[in-house]
Amino acid sequence: MENILEIKDVSYVYGGGTPFEMVALNHVSVGFEKGKITGVIGHTGSGKSTLVQLLNGLLRPQSGEILLNGESIWAKPKEIQKIRYRVGLVMQYPEYQLFDETVRADIGYAPRNMGLSPEEVEARVKEAAAFVRLDEELLDQSPFALSGGQKRRAAIAGIIAMRPEVLVLDEPAAGLDPLGRSDILGGLREYQRSCNATVILVSHSMEDMAQYCDRIVALNHAEVFLTGTVDEVFSRSKELAEVGLDIPHIARFALALQKRGVPLEGSLYTVSGVAEAYMRALQRKKAASTAPQSAGEGDHA
Amino acid sequence: MLKDITLGQYFPGNSVIHRMDPRAKLIVAILYIVAIFCAQNIIGFAALLAVSFLLILLSRISIITILRGLKPILFVLVFTALINIFLTGDASEAPLWQAEIPIFSLVWRPTIYRIGVLRAVLTSVRVVVLIMVTSIFLTYTTSPITLTDAIEELLAPLKLLHVPVHDFAMMMTIALRFIPTLIEETDKIMNAQKARGADFANGSLVKRAKALIPVLVPLFVSAFKRAEDLAIAMECRCYRGGKGRTKLHKLQYHARDFVALVLMCLFLASIFYINYLNPLGISL
Repeated sequence: MENILEIKDVSYVYGGGTPFEMVALNHVSVGFEKGKITGVIGHTGSGKSTLVQLLNGLLRPQSGEILLNGESIWAKPKEIQKIRYRVGLVMQYPEYQLFDETVRADIGYAPRNMGLSPEEVEARVKEAAAFVRLDEELLDQSPFALSGGQKRRAAIAGIIAMRPEVLVLDEPAAGLDPLGRSDILGGLREYQRSCNATVILVSHSMEDMAQYCDRIVALNHAEVFLTGTVDEVFSRSKELAEVGLDIPHIARFALALQKRGVPLEGSLYTVSGVAEAYMRALQRKKAASTAPQSAGEGDHA
Repeated sequence: MLKDITLGQYFPGNSVIHRMDPRAKLIVAILYIVAIFCAQNIIGFAALLAVSFLLILLSRISIITILRGLKPILFVLVFTALINIFLTGDASEAPLWQAEIPIFSLVWRPTIYRIGVLRAVLTSVRVVVLIMVTSIFLTYTTSPITLTDAIEELLAPLKLLHVPVHDFAMMMTIALRFIPTLIEETDKIMNAQKARGADFANGSLVKRAKALIPVLVPLFVSAFKRAEDLAIAMECRCYRGGKGRTKLHKLQYHARDFVALVLMCLFLASIFYINYLNPLGISL
């Protein structure tokens, strides 16, 4: 598969040369596949937020380079603004960026900055609002009159309206209730499928990651710890748990079952996957116990 | 970008000056300022400089830090010095130097007198020691919170005139507390708008001012929201203003504070004495 965005040997240090020096990224190399949702996980201070700000050129790497479609994004530093239109970044708690008089005008801010015609801006606003499931009648209200979840969706629409080649979201569902979470993340999945878009998603919630992502990049102490498909990464739940990374609750449950001697096999990070694996294990046990010299397994039902 | 403000920064430490009572520091600083403006001749200025260097040594703050704090006023210093050198002087004296520029000399002939140079040097010294000593006493060695505490205590007599001293002090404390928070928030919002194509660095002045609207609106919205949250949080903890309120860390004078006050009074008196004697016969 082709990488649309690639990070090559990138390092970033805050406060270099002072006593407060902090390494945020240490020679990180990672690729993001085109048309996939890639999740970035890692605990606080592992360099996730630095990574997303490097992707659209808000920060400039001190060494290494970032390639968008094979071209370094810092090839022409004066045109970094164009890169920011192509790699759309939704920052943490993006509702704080709302400022205009109406939701329509606010979503249209980035397209207007891009110098598009008013008709084109209007078309993009409608399209983006539809993607985040924002009712059309809300478009003429003040953004400050919306509810928390609606504000969040309006802010995300403000980035989608740029029609970025890559959409990067830093904790888009943080602080929302379960319905709000599934609204936003489900909307993103739909957006990705219908536009074949590339999405990079930073999150703490492993459940969301397991459910919505195709690939995972796990960061630990400013370095890439694991990378691969959701299957590959969460099949190594044990290692993830060892370095203190969170894993889905159901994966933890499966690990505990295995510890007690239940021979579970397959992908063990979604509820349905674990249920199927458990059924298979039960059937095997049944088959074994009907056989004449079967050794009894531990009782785990 | 906004984090490079060095003037007015507190450096924690444990020197004699750090340990002084903030009220005493405030009074001593005011006495020193009076001394600065009373000093009339070279000996007085030499004494001012000597005392300020002694204070730097006592505060154990590196001289480089203090000099860096002077950088913002460098322009003012140079400007006033130039004005003093070229525009003041005693015409009865022979000039040190006189410019001979054809034609232009008919309008104005730049002339430097001995007294003008002296004045330039002395006013510069005045400004430098003023900034150095007030920042040693009031910003480098005193945290903003204790400083507002001290101001509240010193202004307490005004309560008799129904001046809401406590409320002013509380407002100052809150304002100081939220400066770093607001700076951080500004940075965040600016980044978010940059990601949407905002350009703060290029274009005409009007264009750049307009580019700030998408930053200022969210900043004000969240500042008001934060203010409301803070007010509610204070009410939840039964804040009712200064009446009947006691303090966890009560300010207390120690022997060193009285010693400092007495020494500074003596210094002020000796400045007056030097003025009176005026052994070199120079005055400004």
